[in-house]
Amino acid sequence: MNRKSYLLFIGLLLLSFESMAQEGKYFGQTEIGILYGRSAEQWDGNHEERTDLTLLTFHGMKISRSHVVGFSVGLDQYDGVPILPFAFGYRGFLGKEGKPKIFGGVDLGYGSAMLEKREENEWSKSWYRGGLMFSPSVGFSFPALKGNSALSLSLAYKRQDISYFQGFLTGPGAQTIVSDQLPPGFSSLSKTENLYRSFVFRAGLMF
Amino acid sequence: MKSLYSSAIFLLSVLVFTSCQDEMTSTYTYRTMMPVYYEMSDIRARVITTEPAKPLDNPGKIYIYEDYLFINEPTKGIHILNNENPANPVNLSFIPIAGNVDLAVNGNILYADNYVDLLAFDISNISNIQLIKRIEDVFTHMYYHQTGEIITFKDTVLTSENPNWGGDGFWLMNSSMSFSANYSAASQSYGTGGSMARFTLSNGHLYAVDESTLRVFDVKTATDPTFVKPIDLGWGIETIFPFQDKLFIGSNVGMHIYDASTPNSPTRMAVYEHVRACDPVVVNEDYAFVTLRNGTACNGVDELHVIDINDLYNPTLKKSYPMLNPHGLGLAGNFLYIAEGAHGLKSFNASDVMNIDQNQLEFLTDQSSVDLIPGPKSLIVIGPDGVCQFDYSNPARLKKLSCIQVTNPTKFY
Repeated sequence: MNRKSYLLFIGLLLLSFESMAQEGKYFGQTEIGILYGRSAEQWDGNHEERTDLTLLTFHGMKISRSHVVGFSVGLDQYDGVPILPFAFGYRGFLGKEGKPKIFGGVDLGYGSAMLEKREENEWSKSWYRGGLMFSPSVGFSFPALKGNSALSLSLAYKRQDISYFQGFLTGPGAQTIVSDQLPPGFSSLSKTENLYRSFVFRAGLMF
Repeated sequence: MKSLYSSAIFLLSVLVFTSCQDEMTSTYTYRTMMPVYYEMSDIRARVITTEPAKPLDNPGKIYIYEDYLFINEPTKGIHILNNENPANPVNLSFIPIAGNVDLAVNGNILYADNYVDLLAFDISNISNIQLIKRIEDVFTHMYYHQTGEIITFKDTVLTSENPNWGGDGFWLMNSSMSFSANYSAASQSYGTGGSMARFTLSNGHLYAVDESTLRVFDVKTATDPTFVKPIDLGWGIETIFPFQDKLFIGSNVGMHIYDASTPNSPTRMAVYEHVRACDPVVVNEDYAFVTLRNGTACNGVDELHVIDINDLYNPTLKKSYPMLNPHGLGLAGNFLYIAEGAHGLKSFNASDVMNIDQNQLEFLTDQSSVDLIPGPKSLIVIGPDGVCQFDYSNPARLKKLSCIQVTNPTKFY
């Protein structure tokens, strides 16, 4: 999916939530937090820690009193690479109305690397490709004294696949050889697939 | 409610028990040259018979013989085309010759290399070509060791999971080192050096150059070529151009002039040295025209050099002209044709060598070209569009007659 269709998709979703809100079925959750993880074992046997900012906004529809399905968009960063996760999500609540509640949720979708620029020169090309994002979460919500909103604190696990590609182009004069393994015009291509497993601590609002 | 509880517990256990550590996997896919070993005895055991016409895949050297074009398909064989009408060349047949990269025709005899051997074919009846002689073990540089096994390289794509191949390891597989880079270059009649022979006929002798050696064959009796001797030339030999009883040999550092008046033992007269560059040569009585090109295999400049060769022992630079990216060139009478790579095709009146740039006749910017041959009927231009022929009776107005499409055309090198 290209950038335009993403934006169109998000726009349409937001519009549909707008109409739901008027019926009182809308549920939203916007949180900010940190993403914490440990790198894969490095050459010296050590792990490097990474801590990054994470944003998540979930918009959904109450299908019953304590179940919500919807769509989430976020912004994460992994080793300096920004990722936009788009996901379908679920939130479920446990507890009495007007009291602090326990909630759990799942987001499953695709983390896009479209914010990272593709680098290209005469000899090489390099780019990132996003991948599967899966994030179960649990948390507490504390309702505000007035109105419908609540403070939320959540703890989540987030799995995100990101691949980095770096390819060298065949020099002028080289014959192309047909191969499914190498895209045309490349003499080599290295793919580094990173599976990031992170803990996420977030705080925000539900409304 | 209960189910929500248990799912929350499930999620928590996922959080706790999943190893919270990133995973990294790397794959490195690269083109490389896989060595392929052949027993020469197996190669020699193959019967070579003419096959029906095949489409041109990646044409190499082109040889004009009477109304026919012989077009080499590097390492595979030779296409034969009827070019009676340059506006409509007809693909006739294909001679499969493993390891073949060059050819020459002497009378009714076609010479072609077959890995380490030189073959002679009788082509007096084009529909019934016969192998009449095989001279064994002449291009011995291809031998892997003395057991009769030869080594060639096959361009292959490999994938490795060893992350160490990533990053800095790639230079090993740099595409310019790839066999195909060499091979497409070698496929040009004026190309950069591969390890393969390049043929030329002069004074009853066949001269074949590879990267460092000139091999002399006596072909005075066309049907019975005999190997005379190898002559060491030094490294970086690329092209050979015979003129009268001289041989002009282009290397990547200069132009060697050999006296071939004793044809079976050419002797070096002079070396004209220039900056390191790829450099096809053409010659007339007074001047040698050399193009120097900046390219992957031959860093240098893009220039046309006109060299005074009146004193063959002391060639001197007469004038140099800046060019765009000159590849092959051809001389027909006073007219000079230069393949300017992706920039096009130029024709000049070169009768006044001091003012060649003032006498540019035509510049076809849409005719990308890597090499050309001024033939008796047409100017044959080789480029990414295939093998095209031009009516060049008026050098200021080149008229395209035909183009033979190829499936894997030559790119610029």
